[in-house]
Amino acid sequence: MLRRLLLGAVLLAAAGGGLFWLVTRPQPLDPALLDGLQPGDAQNGERIFHLAGCASCHAPPGAEGGARLSLAGGHALKTPFGTFVAPNISPHVEDGIGGWDVADFANAVMRGISPQGAHYYPAFPYTSYARMEVQDVADLFAYLKTLPPVAGRADGHTLSFPYTVRRGIGLWKRLHLDAAPVVEFPAGAPEEVLRGRYLVEGPGHCGECHTPRSLDGGLDTGRWLAGAPSLEGEGTVPDITPSADGLGAWSPADIVYYFETGFTPDFDSVGGAMVAVQENLARLPDEDRQAIAAYLKAIPSADR
Amino acid sequence: MKRQVISASILSAFLATAVATAAEDPVAVRKAQMQSNAASAAVAGAMLKGELDYNPAVAKAAIASLNATAKAFGDYFPEGSDEGETTAAPAIWDNPEGFQQALGKFQADAAAAVQASGREGPASLEAFQQAITPVLSNCRSCHENFRVRNN
Repeated sequence: MLRRLLLGAVLLAAAGGGLFWLVTRPQPLDPALLDGLQPGDAQNGERIFHLAGCASCHAPPGAEGGARLSLAGGHALKTPFGTFVAPNISPHVEDGIGGWDVADFANAVMRGISPQGAHYYPAFPYTSYARMEVQDVADLFAYLKTLPPVAGRADGHTLSFPYTVRRGIGLWKRLHLDAAPVVEFPAGAPEEVLRGRYLVEGPGHCGECHTPRSLDGGLDTGRWLAGAPSLEGEGTVPDITPSADGLGAWSPADIVYYFETGFTPDFDSVGGAMVAVQENLARLPDEDRQAIAAYLKAIPSADR
Repeated sequence: MKRQVISASILSAFLATAVATAAEDPVAVRKAQMQSNAASAAVAGAMLKGELDYNPAVAKAAIASLNATAKAFGDYFPEGSDEGETTAAPAIWDNPEGFQQALGKFQADAAAAVQASGREGPASLEAFQQAITPVLSNCRSCHENFRVRNN
């Protein structure tokens, strides 16, 4: 009897383990998606680089000017789940991404999977980057290849159980990794709004800070861009929907002016983590800032 | 002469109020200073955007007012004034050297703009833009580390 119970327990554990193994399996991009890729355009890649804010996490902490292009990593993101440290993504062969091919890079950015097939933690905002066009990702890769290779690996993450179980992220991805757009617009929506949606929901990854998270750390898309407590502890991240507390009173020109200069309509200034974002937005072509503003004025209001 | 005496006494009355308020409520004083900065930035921004015709005297007033605030602002962060209705970040008290450095940069940039604006104010919109842009860049660089948004 005891033996049968034991056997049952072992079988159950094995089945449970097998099931866990199955549902947490990394799911790479369909290789067909990569078939039609044009050679990477580094110039467009630079635009994507600023839009996606890569340097905000992957430049060494405190780096300014040209040093922000030495992507050695090391920026620590202190969150309720633990401290995540951004890795070296310079084109260094051993310590960075110098040995990767475009498929490795696209799977890292859009699916959160390392070339060795391990899951990345979603502190790396691939849940947003999943919505990117794969050609933009290839262009970004081409641009990163033009930057200086930097030796040295950043520190590892400091996490507590159960977040240390990397494989568990596979389960989390099943719940939260979805390449579909968040906000649906009726047919005939202006092209500028749709372009803005792509920029905001995809490479810009605005929702990662401006949308509140549920207990498991996934974005609560029902309150999309409605403001959230800061993940890094202090203060709150503002509502940027067209609500009374958000951007309701801002014209699209006000939003664009803020992206260019960092000044709100009442000449308060940008602050905190948004400073680096605004400096990136100021580097974009004007049409991108206009498109983002058009989208932000078109999304559902948080107070509706 | 009489007018001068009257304005001097009005001014000293204002100063007296300011001193009393400062001792009791440094948070209120630094908020008023930030509102003054914002108003200066608004006038400057309106001229730079072309919403307001360029006027050297107005430009000089904006620069002078930013300069006056830059010199005084750092005096209103005594220990314990991190409580209540304030968005001042704990870093002001945790990293006093960094805060002093940021204040020093604001003061130096504002003083240079005063120097550049001369007696009559900057002669052209381009000269004004050149003088004030470094001053205004202090808003975001200081707010990056020393302010916390609560709303």
